[in-house]
Amino acid sequence: MPVFVEDPALLSKSRLKSDLVAHNVELPAAGSKKEVYLKLHLKHIGRKNTAGFSSKSQNNICSCEQSPEDAVTLDPTSLTDEDLKAALLAHGVKAGPIVASTRTLYEKKLSKLLQSAGHKHLNGAEKGVLYSDSEEEEEEEENGEEDAESGIQTDLFPDAQTTPTGIYATRRRPIKGAAGRPIQYLYPDSPVSPTTLERREVERRLVPVLVQIVVFLVVACVLYLTCIYLLDKSFSPLEQTSTSSFTLYFPLMGV
Amino acid sequence: SSGNMSTTSQKHRDFVGEPMGDKAVTALSGIGETLGKKLATDGFDKAYVVLGQFLLLRKDTEMFTEWLKDTTGANSRQAVSCAQCLKEWCDAFL
Repeated sequence: MPVFVEDPALLSKSRLKSDLVAHNVELPAAGSKKEVYLKLHLKHIGRKNTAGFSSKSQNNICSCEQSPEDAVTLDPTSLTDEDLKAALLAHGVKAGPIVASTRTLYEKKLSKLLQSAGHKHLNGAEKGVLYSDSEEEEEEEENGEEDAESGIQTDLFPDAQTTPTGIYATRRRPIKGAAGRPIQYLYPDSPVSPTTLERREVERRLVPVLVQIVVFLVVACVLYLTCIYLLDKSFSPLEQTSTSSFTLYFPLMGV
Repeated sequence: SSGNMSTTSQKHRDFVGEPMGDKAVTALSGIGETLGKKLATDGFDKAYVVLGQFLLLRKDTEMFTEWLKDTTGANSRQAVSCAQCLKEWCDAFL
């Protein structure tokens, strides 16, 4: 932690900018050069520094703006009134006068804001793991609706795993409300656009078709194997004694 | 209780209907005997002192509610009622 007063000229442009924000100084136009920021810095903040303004708390604020990880460790109770107000402003909260009766409240507010900022950061990381880039667009659009329903799904089938392919047995209407259980949506049905309804309709049909194909293939295989077996083993009984159906099936049963 | 609710809303109408003048804190809706005493010991003996705090918080009802709960141990209903009362008074008289 530097004890000396830093030379503003040595600071980066972004650092100058964040310092200005922290001190409630109006920023120049977006594309302004570093000199403009430097002038403002010297004018508004330089004076305060020579008047014994602690550069320690200033650093605290800057770190909170630079990285969200550091922001969590920032202690609002150690800030000066001025810095507390600036930090709140940096989080989009316009604080009133920070006096004895309001200070603790604003400290609380800031620590809450810092916490939620850190939380958001975490959530973002988790999302990155959960939803890969290869996921279908359609699914991401419907995430909201599916979240509502998946709650009920996991309720009905605690063992069932939600798959990224979006194939759920419960998406078929007849299964819903099975066993006389009343279906309760977590959120009331919101009006949806016709395209969404269309997509849902397609999706609903899609699942049984897949199942049907699988079942059809299995049945076809069984029939094919039975045919082969019958042709191989029952040629002789068919030609020799084609009198009764019993003899036709006899070889099958004998093996 | 429901009886409490109706007296509170009557209190609300009474407070919001006229300048607060020199009224005690207990004239604020949501502030009963207990909370009034607690506020008075903290220096908030008049409704206008509480209004001062409300104004310091820039008429932010959420922040004010938080403050009232923290300092007096008021429950959410009481705190929200008081904040609403002051907010409406400000809308009418400031």
